[in-house]
Amino acid sequence: MPVTSDLSSSSRRAFVKGLSLLALAGAAGAGRAAQRRDVVVVTSYPDEVVSRFEAAFEKAHPEWRLRIVWHMPHDALPTLRRPGPEGVDVYWTPSPRNYAILKGEGLLRKLDVDRSGLPGRIGNTLIDDADGYYAATETAGYGFAINPDYLKAHGLPEPTDWTDLADARYGGHIALPNPGRVGFAPVMADIPLQAYGWEKGWAMWSAITANSMLVDRGGTFVSDELSSGRRGIGVSIDFFVAAAIAKGAPLRFIYPKNGGVNPGQVAIMAGARNLDGARAFVTFLLSDAGQKIVTHPDIRKLPVRPSVYAGLDAGYHNPFAVAAAGGYGYDSDRGIGRLPVIAALFDSVLAQHRETLAELWAKARRVGGERGEQAKRLLSAVPISEADADKTEWQQAFANRRDDAKAEAAAVALEQQWVAESGARLARAGKLLEQS
Amino acid sequence: MKKTMILIFALMAGNALAQNAASPEAFAQPMPGLSDTEREQFFRGRTLVRQSWVVAPSKDDQVDGLGPLYNRLACISCHPHNGRGRPPEAATERMLSMLVRLSVPGHDDHGGPKPHPAYGGQLNEEGIPGVPGEGRATLRWHEVVTVRLAGGEKVSLRKPQIKFAELAYGPIDGVLTSPRVGEQMVGMGYLDAVSEATLEGMAKETKPDGVKGRVNRVWNPETKRMEAGRFGYKCNMPTLRAQSAGAFNGDIGITSPLFPDENCTSVQKACQKAPNGGSPELSAAQLDEVEFYLAHLDVPPRRNAADPVVKRGEVRFAEIGCAACHRQELKTGDGAHFPRLAGQTIRPYTDLLVHDMGKGLSDRRPDGLASGSEWRTSPLWGLGLTAAVSESGFYLHDGRARSLVEAIVWHGGEATKARDRFVRLGKDEREALLAFLNSL
Repeated sequence: MPVTSDLSSSSRRAFVKGLSLLALAGAAGAGRAAQRRDVVVVTSYPDEVVSRFEAAFEKAHPEWRLRIVWHMPHDALPTLRRPGPEGVDVYWTPSPRNYAILKGEGLLRKLDVDRSGLPGRIGNTLIDDADGYYAATETAGYGFAINPDYLKAHGLPEPTDWTDLADARYGGHIALPNPGRVGFAPVMADIPLQAYGWEKGWAMWSAITANSMLVDRGGTFVSDELSSGRRGIGVSIDFFVAAAIAKGAPLRFIYPKNGGVNPGQVAIMAGARNLDGARAFVTFLLSDAGQKIVTHPDIRKLPVRPSVYAGLDAGYHNPFAVAAAGGYGYDSDRGIGRLPVIAALFDSVLAQHRETLAELWAKARRVGGERGEQAKRLLSAVPISEADADKTEWQQAFANRRDDAKAEAAAVALEQQWVAESGARLARAGKLLEQS
Repeated sequence: MKKTMILIFALMAGNALAQNAASPEAFAQPMPGLSDTEREQFFRGRTLVRQSWVVAPSKDDQVDGLGPLYNRLACISCHPHNGRGRPPEAATERMLSMLVRLSVPGHDDHGGPKPHPAYGGQLNEEGIPGVPGEGRATLRWHEVVTVRLAGGEKVSLRKPQIKFAELAYGPIDGVLTSPRVGEQMVGMGYLDAVSEATLEGMAKETKPDGVKGRVNRVWNPETKRMEAGRFGYKCNMPTLRAQSAGAFNGDIGITSPLFPDENCTSVQKACQKAPNGGSPELSAAQLDEVEFYLAHLDVPPRRNAADPVVKRGEVRFAEIGCAACHRQELKTGDGAHFPRLAGQTIRPYTDLLVHDMGKGLSDRRPDGLASGSEWRTSPLWGLGLTAAVSESGFYLHDGRARSLVEAIVWHGGEATKARDRFVRLGKDEREALLAFLNSL
């Protein structure tokens, strides 16, 4: 029972007496608590996402307890394929490819949860599985982080679309994730390829690469580079930057005219041992409460339930509104198979030659005239056609290289060929410009 | 009583968030002036601190080896935004940024707590697939004392009661327990750099109000010597490196050159047979990066330091005796591990000594030379940013205090006189003192 004390000298004893009661209250012992069942969830979401959902879900559903098994997408399939007592109930991660594989192997069950109010599509991007085996729980948009003070200090205008970044004025001012190294960046590379066409898109990427510092780590690094004033523009996926802005970074995020979104999804495993718990978790993720959590300043994803936007700040990007106005033309189905090829191609043709590209683009602009244009054509060329990127054997070689020695050998052979071809082409451009 | 009014200036300035120091990222900024190479190392360390660790074997072999027994997947699970953790509010909630230290009466080979024969030094609630987690600890809060402050305002104090359930390795009767929330991680490099001679010197000083304070002597697993403790709620770790490696081992189950053994007890057979993520799982180079990151987190500048109310509160803080232990100024040694941190004057508001804090705060679990009632003087720098960084405001080792007033009123033992003076302060003066604490 609480003891009241004013701690005056006459009542000090009362305080001490009160505290002595604590000994009883603090005694440790084994107790009987209602046993809660685990919901086993494989995810690659970072701790700030997982911890928030753990706390909120378990508060809403004290009968269940999340047991998190953490795997990056490239490492998750063996665990997800494991049957029996160590089996998984829910897969929750941004990896469309893994969901497609698991669905193909019959390892997912149809999502028998209420999905009303969830359109499942943003513009041209299908964010839910057409057959109902997995559904988006959040999405994120691509675009440009900018440091307005930096751009002002350097007299640079704010870019509005991808083509702007190819402008020589931006040389040395851009931080660009290398799609060959950074998980979210292959879709970023593909957005302009779809928007402007294969050849024009690669030509643009060549000029942008020449203007950029390539980064091989995730999006927080781009925010760090910009916040510290070391670069003025960072190509990124929005949530890294929006989270930094929400926490005080002096940045802004610009969604380009030709945008794209990348969904994170959830599925229930066909062999789920705790089906009720799995359904409860998926339902929570898709609920108003779950969708509001994805907007927390630490997470800053885009909800997939349109009604949630009504309760958000006016400036919160609403991709459904943009899509309704004709935006978000990126076709994710068109992209999904070829993304590994595009990522490897970017690394081989552009990233590995970045310094040479920067030097030769500058020289070609200085030389100008027909010779300069000829050199630019050489700098812009891409060694494979769009149809090549759709070849099943190439797509499989790059997609499976981590797991399959044969695939790795095929991928390495193609990469070596592309590196050599690009190197030779750049050498020709260099020679041409030396003649000037 | 020392009545010196000292103006406190921001320790550092000029980082990217200085203009918005109350940001949730206030404890996550690099010190200004790092070279490109140092920034790289800082960010690599940050990646490891934020990393969710993976069960071995894994393709991600640089970050595998979780467990076999563990509490949480990542360092920042218990130190959100590098800040403080929080206790569960109800018995139905899990400990998501908190853990329970365990021991039995007696000492280990180096004078530290003697681990429980079946459950070890702390309850690891989770286990990797195939290894049963040790069990569940729940907290139930009891309001035990109501204290009346001058002016009539009442402060209710609560204390946790621990219950264990789902115990997987037999009975745990007779165990000594101490629940702990994650501590804030900013400023640790500077504290690491305070020399042992400085600590011993402070311990020997004559202090007012019966305040004593002593250095906890603890085992350094790196030098294999007994050294002055600096880190942990009872100063039970001597260095930032040992503290970091110890937390990796105890909380996440990650071995390192300092703690090469998996955290399995002799009765935990499945744990012993579980695959590991290399020997050690956290390499020396990775530990270097973690240590560099933690050591070079910038201490956020104070806010409103020139405000007259804050300045008045600062005077009261010294007058009523708080500064006898929460010493505003320390000097780092010349032999600091990181040269940048050597020979600096810092304002951490701690003496890094353990003090008797009275029966009310005693966990009745000795740790080295520190008895159950002895606790390290908590550094107060960054205190006013707790709510912004941690999204909560829970204080003391187990998060029992729901406000700074509760935390102060819980002080006993050597701090009794200072606490009593606080309780007797008029409302305005009390609020001035709190405004000062919130400016740190």
